[in-house]
Amino acid sequence: MTRSTRTHRRTRTLGLTAAAAASLLLLTACGGGSSDAGDAPEPVESASFEAGTTMAELSQAGAITIGTKFDQPGFGLVGLTDEPEGFDVEVGKGIAAQLGLSEDDITWVEAPSAQREDLITQGSVDMVIATYTINDTRKERITFAGPYYVAGQQIMVGANEDRLTGPDDLRANPDLKICSVNGSTPSENIREYLASPDQLVLFEVYDDCVTAMKNGQVQALTTDNVILTGYVAENEGEFKLVGEQFTEEPYGIGITKGDTAFCEFVNGALQTMSEDGSYEEAWTSTAGEYEGTEVPTLPTADPCV
Amino acid sequence: MEPVLDNLDLFWSGFLRSLGIAVWAFVGSMVLGTVLAVFRVSPVPALRAVGTVYVAVVRNTPLTALLFLFAFGIPALQVNASFYVFGVSGLVVYTAAFVCEAIRSGINAVAPGQAEAARAIGLTFSQTLGQVVLPQAVRSVVPPLGNVQIAMVKNSAVVGAIGVGGELFSVYARLSSAQGYERLPILLGVAAFFLLVTLPAGALLAATEKRLAVAR
Amino acid sequence: MGTTAAEQPLVVARGVVKRFGDHTALKGVDLTVHRGEVVVVIGPSGSGKSTLCRTLNRLETVDEGTIEIDGQPLPAEGRDLARLRADVGMVFQSFNLFAHKTVLENVTLGPVKVRRQPRAKAEQRARELLDRVGVGSQAEKLPAQLSGGQQQRVAIARALAMDPKVMLFDEPTSALDPEMINEVLDVMTGLAKDGMTMVVVTHEMGFARRAADRVVFMADGEVAEVAEPEAFFTAPTSRRAQDFLSKLLTH
Repeated sequence: MTRSTRTHRRTRTLGLTAAAAASLLLLTACGGGSSDAGDAPEPVESASFEAGTTMAELSQAGAITIGTKFDQPGFGLVGLTDEPEGFDVEVGKGIAAQLGLSEDDITWVEAPSAQREDLITQGSVDMVIATYTINDTRKERITFAGPYYVAGQQIMVGANEDRLTGPDDLRANPDLKICSVNGSTPSENIREYLASPDQLVLFEVYDDCVTAMKNGQVQALTTDNVILTGYVAENEGEFKLVGEQFTEEPYGIGITKGDTAFCEFVNGALQTMSEDGSYEEAWTSTAGEYEGTEVPTLPTADPCV
Repeated sequence: MEPVLDNLDLFWSGFLRSLGIAVWAFVGSMVLGTVLAVFRVSPVPALRAVGTVYVAVVRNTPLTALLFLFAFGIPALQVNASFYVFGVSGLVVYTAAFVCEAIRSGINAVAPGQAEAARAIGLTFSQTLGQVVLPQAVRSVVPPLGNVQIAMVKNSAVVGAIGVGGELFSVYARLSSAQGYERLPILLGVAAFFLLVTLPAGALLAATEKRLAVAR
Repeated sequence: MGTTAAEQPLVVARGVVKRFGDHTALKGVDLTVHRGEVVVVIGPSGSGKSTLCRTLNRLETVDEGTIEIDGQPLPAEGRDLARLRADVGMVFQSFNLFAHKTVLENVTLGPVKVRRQPRAKAEQRARELLDRVGVGSQAEKLPAQLSGGQQQRVAIARALAMDPKVMLFDEPTSALDPEMINEVLDVMTGLAKDGMTMVVVTHEMGFARRAADRVVFMADGEVAEVAEPEAFFTAPTSRRAQDFLSKLLTH
């Protein structure tokens, strides 16, 4: 309950600040200044789509609403600017550009893990780009375009922790506690490695896991590698990643179920971004800034069904 | 209801976990709350002050803030325990303030002449409370105390936020967002299991009220 | 004082001052009660007579002055005070029987909890006392099932069960229906005849005349006159007592 009310409030204030920011951006654009992380993709001038498609609607409306994480360093994080920044955000801008929309036409909405499907099925957003792992249960309610990135789950420990070198060491050290987020895919994946369910500590947000690690209440944090590299970089010298990635988490772009045409358009847009270098640039200016990350290549898209 | 039926074992273990939390919090808050209420009506000004300050501070602090203070603040003082213990303790400390006020109002509802008569035959403060005032306060205290404790059961849903895993709301998060089940049936399932605690509690309350009324 | 222990007064109040906010209820009251003496305190309402009675076992604290019971100054708080109160019986205007306990339990609570008597002994004694005040057949009932007069007699038995050195009566008949007043006054008269030391605050002039050794007349928080009953009722010396009595007669 608290979760959804918070989101709503944030969405509302965001609407206001987004409008303010948009007008500000317009002013700076007139002055010829360039904006934030990475050069904004140029909107395609002559975008035209078959009538009745989602692309045509969005293009005509001149506006798109995209759900993303607001608390995920490197992917979608709202900092001091009140605008989310990260790889997911840049991918969203790239897709919007190919609809003929500038970044001022985008309304960003917070999409916490637990609410992503609902945001799409209720029509609150046009798409969700939010470290959103493609899986079959989710596919029952929505359609995924992409994947545009393949993350993998990894484990982060304190810099001096040497008992844990990978998920397989958890069972042998039942006194070690590992932290993740309530309702996340990584929290489910780690269960098969545990000595007992009590070994897993779950919070609402990863920041609480980091606090608990610093307090020594938990010894490890597990989630997708890209999130962990963010925490390693933010807390210099305190944490390290151990072991290989032990899962594959293909990140997709969630859209209304069955909108195949839109799905194919998004896949095409991703392909274009890969070819013109804006995909790589989106990465290097965001998540790629953290140490120990490699520039990904765009994975082959799944068929749109 | 399929998502609920498919995961009945998970719901059941979540229910037992939530029930355990509620039972501990009930016992703890009743004991602490009664002690605080005795403080608040005691003839010793220092104890009265402790009780008053406790209630003023705790009752006006959001539960979530209190829980995070327990989960992350107490460990900073080098006192460590499991998040389960922190969660239950936070719930006890929070609920005790309301228990205290419910009992105190019950004590105040007992005619002052009763305590005077008790003191006049030489009963001490604790005998006066234990033999004369509290037994009479119970009757008027049961309904508000019941409300406090039913609210506590519902408040206990919040402890999932501070790492107390396995309770009903964690089950909800697991099923709805990690495993992607539709949220509404899962939520309804959680609500149903909470009713499994609160409805019998309510019935017990009504029965107790009736029994006490007859005892007069 | 040069008196022997037996002649030493049982209750001595000196210069007692009691304030309630701006209002001074007692303005320096002196009172001495000797062993076996029955002192009846009368006076118009608001004269402070009830307050005086309540200060004698410290149900009201005093702002100035001292009170001694059997040579001991009243302790301020805690166990010592409780111990002393056990020796001072009190009967209230509104009975104040313990509403959740039976008549018998009302009478045995003090002996069992304070005097540490065995329950059987306490119950035996309680039944004797209940018989003596005429409510022996009501022992198993709850107070609410009794009439006011019966309740007040139980309250007297409850106080007697502690074997008090002195009994305080704070307007014991004021809350009673007229037909029940006498049954309570008869019990009190009996007590007085048996030699109980008593301080009685009352409006019952008949009782004062019949049972009192001394009458203390209070007005405006002060003792206006102390006299033997016959002298007081036939020839009061103070102006305020004359006023008070003349109003009673025309009443």
